[in-house]
Amino acid sequence: MPECAHIDALVTPFVDDALPEGERQTVTRHITACPACRAKVAVERSIRSLMQARRADLAPPAPADLKSRCAALRARQAAPVVDFASGRTASRVAVLSAWRARLAPYALAASLLLAVAGVFLYQATRSSSRVLAAELAMDHEKCFGLNALLGTQHSSDTVEAAMADGFDWHMRLPDISEHDDVNLVGSRLCLYGEGKTAHIMYRHNGRPVSLFMLPSESRADELVKVLGHQARIWSAGDRTFVLVANEPAPEMERMTALVRTTLR
Amino acid sequence: MAPAKSASPGADSHAREAFEADALEYVDSLYRTALWLTRVPSDADDLVQDTYLKAFRAADSFTAGTNIRAWLFTILHNAARNRARGRARDTVTVDSDVVDHAAEVPQFGLSGRVDDPETLLLKNALAPEIQAAVDELPDAFREAVWLRDVEEFSYAEIAGMLSIPVGTVMSRISRGRRMLFGRLQHLRPVNA
Repeated sequence: MPECAHIDALVTPFVDDALPEGERQTVTRHITACPACRAKVAVERSIRSLMQARRADLAPPAPADLKSRCAALRARQAAPVVDFASGRTASRVAVLSAWRARLAPYALAASLLLAVAGVFLYQATRSSSRVLAAELAMDHEKCFGLNALLGTQHSSDTVEAAMADGFDWHMRLPDISEHDDVNLVGSRLCLYGEGKTAHIMYRHNGRPVSLFMLPSESRADELVKVLGHQARIWSAGDRTFVLVANEPAPEMERMTALVRTTLR
Repeated sequence: MAPAKSASPGADSHAREAFEADALEYVDSLYRTALWLTRVPSDADDLVQDTYLKAFRAADSFTAGTNIRAWLFTILHNAARNRARGRARDTVTVDSDVVDHAAEVPQFGLSGRVDDPETLLLKNALAPEIQAAVDELPDAFREAVWLRDVEEFSYAEIAGMLSIPVGTVMSRISRGRRMLFGRLQHLRPVNA
């Protein structure tokens, strides 16, 4: 058919539904009468359908930890925090198994990295949640930087023992999901003159998250934005908890919900 | 006097977070394509990380509200092309127009028998056969078919990604699909 050469160039956009209505009708009319061009349309359609249907067979999903490794690239852009726990699989497995046994069905879809430090608390923080948040945000930055250099690593049991010894706080670390991107870094204890605060460090999608516990302290529930971070403050019994991270408010609330169900 | 800032650091920080979170939604999609391009899992892994590193560094050049997925794929494609050039592999043909004219579409007897080849292929083609047929395609055609049929990008998006005209995109998809069918038909002759 004389039209065939012209129609041939329209077959692909016809299959992809990318032709203007007029040309679409032209092709439709033509292939009704022309078996050769009808076959070309069928061939392209079959391959398109095949590729769509077999996508999963043709390319396996990304490795489980690729997303967190990509997210860590983002974290490095924002702050010089090194994922120093990677590759230490023995402790990681131990931590995973220990933590998995401990509740929280809606655990953080997160990678986690943990360390403990005692942190100085200024007297001024007693009167202002904003000052408290600023202080803890600075400690959050400082401790992550320091741990990046030290590269210490402890088990969850060690961390829990440190909390019990240092603060008479008999806590269980929150379960952080079935996710495999969990890294435990370890504990570090810094003592200062006026007081101390428990500092537990996590990684959430590659970014640092700190949980502070202030003994003998009670505060109203509050979300404070300070120094480029969000600080979520709440109290339980005679302890006050502050979660510090550079995360959107809904994410802060999700993490807070997880921690609140576990830690008292 | 210094001019007042138009946006607070907090607002910038939120925009950045939203951008990063959006970008990270496409890890699987980028990995699939990277694997399709490189054929080697460790290379695909590197390529995706390379893509995100570049994307996070170039965040300021991304216009909010535009298609972040297409933008990421453009970075991926460029990173893949640079790597291929660095290794002097034949994948350099990815952006060579020569390939559009050099590869002949094989004759595969477009008779009435393929009026409904879809059912035949979907029923009978095995994943390894499809993979083998796909692997034989020149990279430029493989990439065009993949971006259209698997990743569902529009012609215009693919043209932008690969820096080629829309007409060339259509031509590559067309040739790619027809060559792929010819190879699959060769592997599994029509018996009906």
